[in-house]
Amino acid sequence: MFGLEWYLGISLVLFFVGIAVILSRKNIVAILLGVELILNSAALNFVAYSRFVTQNLDGHIFSLFIIVIAAAEAAVGLAIVIRYFQINNTIHVDEAKELRG
Amino acid sequence: MTNTIAEFFYQFEGFKSLVEGMNPVTVSVLIIIAAGALVTVFMATVGGFGTIAERKISADLQARIGPNRVGPYGAFQLIADGIKMISKEDIFPRDADKFLFYLAPFICVFGVVSTFAVFPFGSGIALSQMNIGVFYLLAISSLVGVGIFLGGYASNSKWSMLGGMRGASQIISYEIPVTLSIMSIIVLAGGLSFESVLASQSGLPHNWYIFHNPFTFIGFFVFFVGGLAETNRAPFDLPEAESELVSGYHTEYTGIRFGLFALAEYMEIFILCGVAATLFLGGYNLPLGVLKGTVPEQFLQFGTILIKTLALYYVVIWVRWTFPRLRVDQLMTICWKYLTPMAIFNLVGCAVWMVAFDGKSMFDLFFGH
Amino acid sequence: MFLNLLFLTSALLTVGCSVAVLAVKNLMHACVFLLGALIGIAGLYATLGADFVAVTQIMVYVGGVVILMLFAVMLTGGKDHVSKTQKLKSLIPAMGNKTSYLIGCLTALVFFLTQGYLVSKLLGSIEVQKQVDTFSPTVQELGELLITNHVLPFELSSVLLLGALVGAAIIARPRKARPQYEEEAEEHH
Repeated sequence: MFGLEWYLGISLVLFFVGIAVILSRKNIVAILLGVELILNSAALNFVAYSRFVTQNLDGHIFSLFIIVIAAAEAAVGLAIVIRYFQINNTIHVDEAKELRG
Repeated sequence: MTNTIAEFFYQFEGFKSLVEGMNPVTVSVLIIIAAGALVTVFMATVGGFGTIAERKISADLQARIGPNRVGPYGAFQLIADGIKMISKEDIFPRDADKFLFYLAPFICVFGVVSTFAVFPFGSGIALSQMNIGVFYLLAISSLVGVGIFLGGYASNSKWSMLGGMRGASQIISYEIPVTLSIMSIIVLAGGLSFESVLASQSGLPHNWYIFHNPFTFIGFFVFFVGGLAETNRAPFDLPEAESELVSGYHTEYTGIRFGLFALAEYMEIFILCGVAATLFLGGYNLPLGVLKGTVPEQFLQFGTILIKTLALYYVVIWVRWTFPRLRVDQLMTICWKYLTPMAIFNLVGCAVWMVAFDGKSMFDLFFGH
Repeated sequence: MFLNLLFLTSALLTVGCSVAVLAVKNLMHACVFLLGALIGIAGLYATLGADFVAVTQIMVYVGGVVILMLFAVMLTGGKDHVSKTQKLKSLIPAMGNKTSYLIGCLTALVFFLTQGYLVSKLLGSIEVQKQVDTFSPTVQELGELLITNHVLPFELSSVLLLGALVGAAIIARPRKARPQYEEEAEEHH
């Protein structure tokens, strides 16, 4: 009953919410939350297309790789955040301008 | 043989006449709701009896009598405890995070109860026969770690915070050896479902996976030690170490919320013992094919898995009252320097064994045709 | 019927929790809502017949990523600096200028028209199934695909994970602080 359009709609909502989180929050961890939402919306699209269009499992494999890369990204990103907090005592993005040219 | 709980009920003539004329979809929805409620009640009872077993067995090990006032041998102590917990005042610490404080116990209980959806109590007596049952069980039980961490954080207390942090890091770390040693069984069974694991074992010990080859024999102990740590049991009960952290992550919880945490812990031990019995000790299989394909067989199978699980449950309590608690650094050393390398070694060893001996067990190699 | 029920609850959970991630002030609560959204997405995968992907989603995100996020929020204080006094006008340079609004609207219009044209051209030939009824276990087929057609990315992802593990460990490792007297000695020179 619920076809491809529904899944694409949910994925669209997730994507734009993720963008809005990235733009509106000033905390680096919160920005990583937005990145996770965006990655998930892409993975949902892949699986939906693989069910309703291509009818094979390549989309599943792509979303598995997205999950793997999201996990790696979260681990490294949060390590950097915690290290940055130890040095500068803040994780406000506007104050993180040490490397600004 | 039946596949789902609905088909199990359809075997009986009385049930068939009862539901005649009803929509089969409605019937299966009703059965699933009823079975879910039944399993939850059953598990709550198991958790409740877990507390009594703990107190009675510990009393036995220390040459005391233990609870003996409520009912014969104190058997109704759990009802008294339950009434006490429900009627206690629900204290909410000032400055605590209200939303997370209320949510945390439910996340814990949700994570544990969801695992029973795939646990096989007998052939056909499972709520669902998912083709990735083992994997699902591992995944959904990691919710408990989130619950413990949130409970510790939201209480706004130093003890709780330390307990929650210890709990979360311990559960994440010990997931690795546990998952790897389950993977070595999956390699032997050739499928991620409980049915495929159980199909290649049988009732007698020489066909159990624990005696299949030397690697699975080590793997069972790796799994059991890792499982003890994942369920926060002594000697790995650092998150609630009462001599250091008052009571750890549930220090600030009172009444039924504390009860939910305790219930989740005892149910998790039950599921740990059940999974160990299913994966390594032959599960619900009956020896010599007695009563094959009949309804009494299913009840006997239920008894078999219950006996194996409760025997392991006794071992867990026995371990708790025998060994002293570890330090935090010792805990992490055991996980990362001993258990994880051993689990990886077992996984590679099982894979090599499958290729080298064509998947035959030690018994088959020595005494086989 | 089961499928529709599962879809509706998962979709509601996903959309509601992801909007809540955007809306709530407290970062810890945002992490918990992210957890809800991720579980909802796992439910959506299940309605699409992707059983293995659904369980992997729960395994990786619930057991790993969300707990890491919670740890990071706790260790860094969890303060979010959304200030209500800052208005959009002061944030974005060309705000409140009629010409810039016009240019913005035109750009958006051209963008959407181009996109729509391209998508209709590209997707016109693709046949979209209205409804797919059959579900089949995907695990075996996925395993075979991973070690045949997709073996290179599979192996590369293991290298990536190892690199991430070592990198995260090295970055987050507490470095030895320089002793006080050395700094003082340098100041004297």
